[in-house]
Amino acid sequence: MIIVLAVFAILISYDLQRFIRKKERARVFAIYAFLMAASLTVGLLLAAGRRPLSPSQWIEAILRMIGVLK
Amino acid sequence: MEKARISSIQMFLLLLGFLFGSTVILAPAQGAKNDAWLAMLLGGAGGTLLMWVYAAIALLNPSKTLVDILKEKMGKVVGNIFAVLYTWYFIHLASLVLRNYGEFICTVTFPETPMVVVIGLFAVFLVYAINSGIEVIGRLSELLVPVIPLVVLIISLSLITVHDFTAFLPILGNGMTPVLNAAFSFITFPFGETVAFLMLFPHVNKKEKLKKVVLLSAAISTLIGIILFFRDIFVLGSDLMARATFIPHLTSLLIPGFNVESLVDINLLIGGGVKISVCIYAAAKALSQIAGIGDCRKLTGAITTFCVVLSIWVYENVLEMFKWAEKVWPYYSTSFQIVIPLLLLLLSLWKKSKPSDAGAES
Repeated sequence: MIIVLAVFAILISYDLQRFIRKKERARVFAIYAFLMAASLTVGLLLAAGRRPLSPSQWIEAILRMIGVLK
Repeated sequence: MEKARISSIQMFLLLLGFLFGSTVILAPAQGAKNDAWLAMLLGGAGGTLLMWVYAAIALLNPSKTLVDILKEKMGKVVGNIFAVLYTWYFIHLASLVLRNYGEFICTVTFPETPMVVVIGLFAVFLVYAINSGIEVIGRLSELLVPVIPLVVLIISLSLITVHDFTAFLPILGNGMTPVLNAAFSFITFPFGETVAFLMLFPHVNKKEKLKKVVLLSAAISTLIGIILFFRDIFVLGSDLMARATFIPHLTSLLIPGFNVESLVDINLLIGGGVKISVCIYAAAKALSQIAGIGDCRKLTGAITTFCVVLSIWVYENVLEMFKWAEKVWPYYSTSFQIVIPLLLLLLSLWKKSKPSDAGAES
């Protein structure tokens, strides 16, 4: 878990200093924050051994629900 | 729009590399067993037609990416919703290919290395290539993609002494239904996945050659796919082929006298690399266009990080990966690969014919 946090800290600090230096718009920060937050959350859950239901399983469930898959 | 330009030959090789992608390790159309060659022929014809549809959409909307076309034809709100769904699709596709790569390398080459390390390191190189621009990816494909058919040729010729040329018989032993199902799967993987190229086609410098390039790459890819199938079934036989996990790798192990296992890894690195780069580039570009961000490179790092995490998250094990790719993927991807592009083609044709009708009336 510490490794995951360290990797994300390095990635975020590297990108953020670039964004701040170039005075990027708020929407760049927003999209970046959303993607990195989602990655970090899932990464930490996977590292903790609590794998959430994956998108593939959601997709399969939806396709079963609408009757495409039997 | 980014002013980068790629030549027709670079686009041809990018398409070829993309179509090889993970098919280098995952033999497609295996549902049809002995008749997979027939499924590949049918699927190849369908896939070529589908890629022709993508090229026709690009030619009817010159200098416009998929996001621009969606917004123009479906309106801003609906177009943006579909564009977000396509962004998700490209990210998901990149993650699936990354996972294929990780599973293969961790099963075959580096069994002691954690998959996240293998995938993460590969992703670092890919981000560097994507951030260098589409021209660099084009030039890289010019340099590396020709290696793939060369490796196929080397392995096929090396196995010439261990062939059983009757292994693919009987023809249609299980009827036509498995062949048609496998042909449909072959259309969605890999041909339908080239829908991502609708984000790249505006960069081609000679648009008049686009249809030729697309048709040629689809035809060559089908041909090499069929050659690979015959090579594998002649060497392994249908029983072993049905039970093997990574068929081309197993075939390469049977060459008498020397080991060319690493050549299969090289093919996957090149094909998978091209495919993941194109998908991440398409996702970054789509997202930047939706959000109105000028340079898509600002998002490639975050998207690639998300892809790496998603690739680990997406399946629990290799068996789930194969099951999902065979049972769910064709139906999940149909709307992205066939339904929406056909709708876009119809709308493009309709809107093209509309002004000329008005002109004729006046």
